[in-house]
Amino acid sequence: MSLFNKERVLVPIDFSEASFNAVKETRGLVTEASNLHILHVLHPLHQGEPGVIWKTVNNETRKQHVEQAFYQRCQEAEYQGVHFSVLVGNPSEKIIDYANTNDIDLIVIPSHGRTGISRFFLGSVAERVVRFAHCPVLVLRRSD
Amino acid sequence: MLSKMILDCWTMNALAAVKINGLLDRIDAGVSQVLEVLNDAIFFSIGGMPLIVIWLLMAGVFFTWQMRFVNIRAFKHAIDVVRGKYDDPNSEEGEVSHFQALAIALSATVGIGNIASAAVAIALGGPGACFWLTVGGLLGMSTKFVECTLGHKYRIIKPDGTIVGGPMYYLSAGLAEVGLHRLGNILAVIYSFTGILAILVAVAILQSNQSLAAVTAIVPSLADYGWIYGALMAGLVGLVIIGGLQRLARVAGVIAPLMCGIYILVCLWVLAIHFTAIPEAIATIIKSAFSFHAVGGGFAGALIQGLRRSAFSNEAGSGTAAIAHAVARTDEPVREGIVTILEPFIDTVIICNLTALVVIITGAYNNPDFANFSGTQLASAAFGEAISWFPYLLAIVIFFFAFSTIISQYYYGEVCWEYLLGDRSETLFQVLFLGCILLGSVASPQAVIEFGDALLVALVLPNLLGVFFLSHQVAVDLEDYLNRLNASNLAIVEN
Repeated sequence: MSLFNKERVLVPIDFSEASFNAVKETRGLVTEASNLHILHVLHPLHQGEPGVIWKTVNNETRKQHVEQAFYQRCQEAEYQGVHFSVLVGNPSEKIIDYANTNDIDLIVIPSHGRTGISRFFLGSVAERVVRFAHCPVLVLRRSD
Repeated sequence: MLSKMILDCWTMNALAAVKINGLLDRIDAGVSQVLEVLNDAIFFSIGGMPLIVIWLLMAGVFFTWQMRFVNIRAFKHAIDVVRGKYDDPNSEEGEVSHFQALAIALSATVGIGNIASAAVAIALGGPGACFWLTVGGLLGMSTKFVECTLGHKYRIIKPDGTIVGGPMYYLSAGLAEVGLHRLGNILAVIYSFTGILAILVAVAILQSNQSLAAVTAIVPSLADYGWIYGALMAGLVGLVIIGGLQRLARVAGVIAPLMCGIYILVCLWVLAIHFTAIPEAIATIIKSAFSFHAVGGGFAGALIQGLRRSAFSNEAGSGTAAIAHAVARTDEPVREGIVTILEPFIDTVIICNLTALVVIITGAYNNPDFANFSGTQLASAAFGEAISWFPYLLAIVIFFFAFSTIISQYYYGEVCWEYLLGDRSETLFQVLFLGCILLGSVASPQAVIEFGDALLVALVLPNLLGVFFLSHQVAVDLEDYLNRLNASNLAIVEN
């Protein structure tokens, strides 16, 4: 009997190396690619952005770009069938919402280990997910 | 009993208010002193010419020589690129076209400063200042080419296709490539920090304060309603940056070219009325540019005022325009750099010169009645002399110039903020920014206003220091690009 259920595992990614390592390690943990849910949360669009002013950029174009970038990065056969989603909003809130709506059993999340001023302003997404998630959360510490 | 309580309460409140006012005065005096010292340090002058302006000019001369007069030889190509001859939306990465990026950058630089600059230069330095203003603008074209090419070259394309770039990115990544990793990071942090302060003080406070002053100089009856003006400006800006009112944001994008067009037409109209006086005005400008016995400050006065005002009006060297141009849709950084040479040309050479001609031809610059006028008042008086209702049109133009400048420069501040503090604390920047707009309309903190100018100019220090290390590569890239262009390897897209 395992410590937790691994039928529906969520890995939130921010396109950093650490988050792709988390995806790789979690893929080794689950039996089927379809057990793996990967989520990227986009920051709401900056309204002063030139692309917004000239209407060449919107959330749809951004989602398309993100999907393209993800499938380009994870094109190996072992990733065929993973559930990849893109949401827009506050990262920790969206991760928890997604986990609740999709009955996620386990969240695997890398921690950037921010300190000082950037921690003060950014806080830690991992920290908030641990605090508010309804399922077990596995935080991968930065190795360096 | 009740009246006694009210009286006591009132007395206590009054005492508290006196104490608070005293404290505020002390803080104000302390802050003013610190700002004055910083201001004097940034504008340390020799013979009336701030060293920082001399440095900017030397940079302009050096880049013009190093890029082998890119400001002249690539001029026609710049116009072709802006006309869309080389646009290929399908195969190149970026957010907006060359023209759209230029419009955003222009709306950030063209503002009340351009109208006031020329008038101030002439009022203080005589008509010859106009000549040196033009020289400064032409040199600024090369500086802008170098910094914007770098901005595009070291931009970062995010996974969602949006792009971010600018001095902090080329300073950190570019200098790391030449083995100056530590210096690059330090300069990038200094640049971002100064950038945030500059945008809050020199844009939010200053644009709101100065445009209100300019509008009330033309329409004095508005003077008592400064806070309404500030609230209106902050409200409109808030609708765009927080409310996401895209239609209004679009207005900010297209308004700068439109307002430039209207302003140029108005100037041409005034010049057409006085067209017989144009040759004489040009002769006066050239003569007094080199004459030691000219009106105003003579040769030295003309040179100092002209070059100084030129540096303030086109912002070449401060690196801010590189933030807007980094998002342009092209795979050729040099091509985007070439587009930017049009900015100082439109902004300083055309707009400032037209203002100068209007002020000279109408005789406003040596009219004793206007002796104590500010730059905008002088320009307004010159327009009013030609056609009575022109000053009102000028007031509208100034309002929209300020609005579009605030929106475009907000984006610059946001990029600096994101680089230093990440994008999740953006709300704090938005609140500070809107607060500063309101503050600029209700208070007139003289020390802060002077410091605002100094902050924008201070950006030149970290930026140009880094650019000097990277400009050789830009010169190599430019020659490579022009060789390929001449060999017709660069396709022209027929629309």
